[in-house]
Amino acid sequence: MFLLRWLSIPLLVLLATAGPVYWAFPEGLSPARSLGIVLGWAGCGLLLASLLLMLRETWLSRWLGGLERMYQWHHRVGMAAYVLLLAHPLALAADAWPASPVLAWQTLSPFTQGWPVRLGWLSLLLLMLGLAATFATGLPYRSWRWLHVSLGVGVLVGLWHLLQLGIEEPVLPILALAALFLGWRILREDSGLAARPYIVQSAAPVADAMVEITLKPLAEPIAVTAGQFVLVAFFAGPTFRGCGEFHPFTVSSMGADREIRVGVKALGDCTRRIQGMEPGVLARVHGAFGTFLAERPAAPQLWLAGGIGITPFLALLRTGPLSQETTLVYLYRAEADAAFLQELRALAEQDPQLSLQALATGNDPPNLDSLLPATRELAGHECYLCGPPGMLAAVRQSLHERGIKPRHIHFENFGFR
Amino acid sequence: MRKLYLSTTVIFWLLVSAFWASSLWLPPAEESVAVAAEKVISRTELAKHALPDNCWMAIRGTVYDLSAYLPRHPSPPEIVLPWCGKEATQAYDTKTKGRPHSAYADELLARYRIGILAANKP
Repeated sequence: MFLLRWLSIPLLVLLATAGPVYWAFPEGLSPARSLGIVLGWAGCGLLLASLLLMLRETWLSRWLGGLERMYQWHHRVGMAAYVLLLAHPLALAADAWPASPVLAWQTLSPFTQGWPVRLGWLSLLLLMLGLAATFATGLPYRSWRWLHVSLGVGVLVGLWHLLQLGIEEPVLPILALAALFLGWRILREDSGLAARPYIVQSAAPVADAMVEITLKPLAEPIAVTAGQFVLVAFFAGPTFRGCGEFHPFTVSSMGADREIRVGVKALGDCTRRIQGMEPGVLARVHGAFGTFLAERPAAPQLWLAGGIGITPFLALLRTGPLSQETTLVYLYRAEADAAFLQELRALAEQDPQLSLQALATGNDPPNLDSLLPATRELAGHECYLCGPPGMLAAVRQSLHERGIKPRHIHFENFGFR
Repeated sequence: MRKLYLSTTVIFWLLVSAFWASSLWLPPAEESVAVAAEKVISRTELAKHALPDNCWMAIRGTVYDLSAYLPRHPSPPEIVLPWCGKEATQAYDTKTKGRPHSAYADELLARYRIGILAANKP
């Protein structure tokens, strides 16, 4: 099952790429022209796979090994498609080069060519703009999101470019699939049709710039287990005005009465506004996603949490006593940032299997050599990490140096951009 | 990933600029088609060349041997092949969808010119 999940996305990407390339594989053409054609079709297939990988459906994410993994592949596959599609017109122009440099430029130029080539250029420019926005980390989320949409428009324009060349047979089904994936994402996920209605029951500050919100279902609740995250959009309440956008939040508690709690740290415009949350605000909840703490073996465990990364571990601890010997290392900048610390200390006192090490690290990176158990003590441990990307990279490196194999290190970034 | 995006985008624009600059500064290749001794081709002769690997077409009074070019034509064969051995001006001017070919296509076409279509001869 693990192997199937691990292979699912590579196989899907291979199929989406090889299918159109096989159909359009040129015969009897020069190498440069053949290469140009193959690059174009391979890029087209990769874009289609990339669109499928941006869908946020719980059943699809289970098949494909989790939403986080789907998003990593969505980025990789989209980037690979972009590189191949940049090379596509250059290879076609290179084919004409031996005949004449003028002809080579005319092959490439949108000014001397008709609409098929102009649409190809427009598609490339939209992909270029969309990717530039994707990598522009300083943009406000809303602007970033709209610029990211230009990538989807670029895909549709690229397929229109193929239709203008008179190639309809494989393009029409690909166009239909691309439109289906884009429409699915916009209608079911961005517009919230796939999400369930909830109402905010309470909101309690748990640390500086961090609030824990209790959500009560207004209809059928979502199914969620400890370690998972949900996408939540908050709307209006008596005085609160939410931004109505879906953002990922880790579930910190699953109540017996079907309520869930999520921890929200102020990291951007929308999450800053959520700090002023009040009871009675309507919300839509989509999920749950993630396999972070699922299928944990009976082996002793090391959990390492940085800041808000404590929430998945807290959700699991709140479900009851542990069955494995577990060391929880909780790192935070200062005491004021240490969310849930008192509750964690109380849980550690009650649970003989749990050992808690809580430490304020200040603004400097923590000294992991002194924090992490020695190589001998770590033997046979499963390690679970959750925190900011820089901390995760440093801890993974330290664990590798202590001889822990990658398959025993589990982590989630919770990074969606 | 950001580095890959930046480097490939910069290389792309450098190569596009190089193609543009070379079209301005490098001398054009010699015309491969001699038009001095133009052959007059009858419609009967034209009609004999109606196969994919032996495909002549008459466009605007000029006859072209497109056998070598057909595999490179971007449209599927079923769109182009029916016009082999025929007068195809209307199809060329409208691409069967009301849209003309580009100036680039005109220039490319000239390379396959083999003669002129005989006027009013069978």
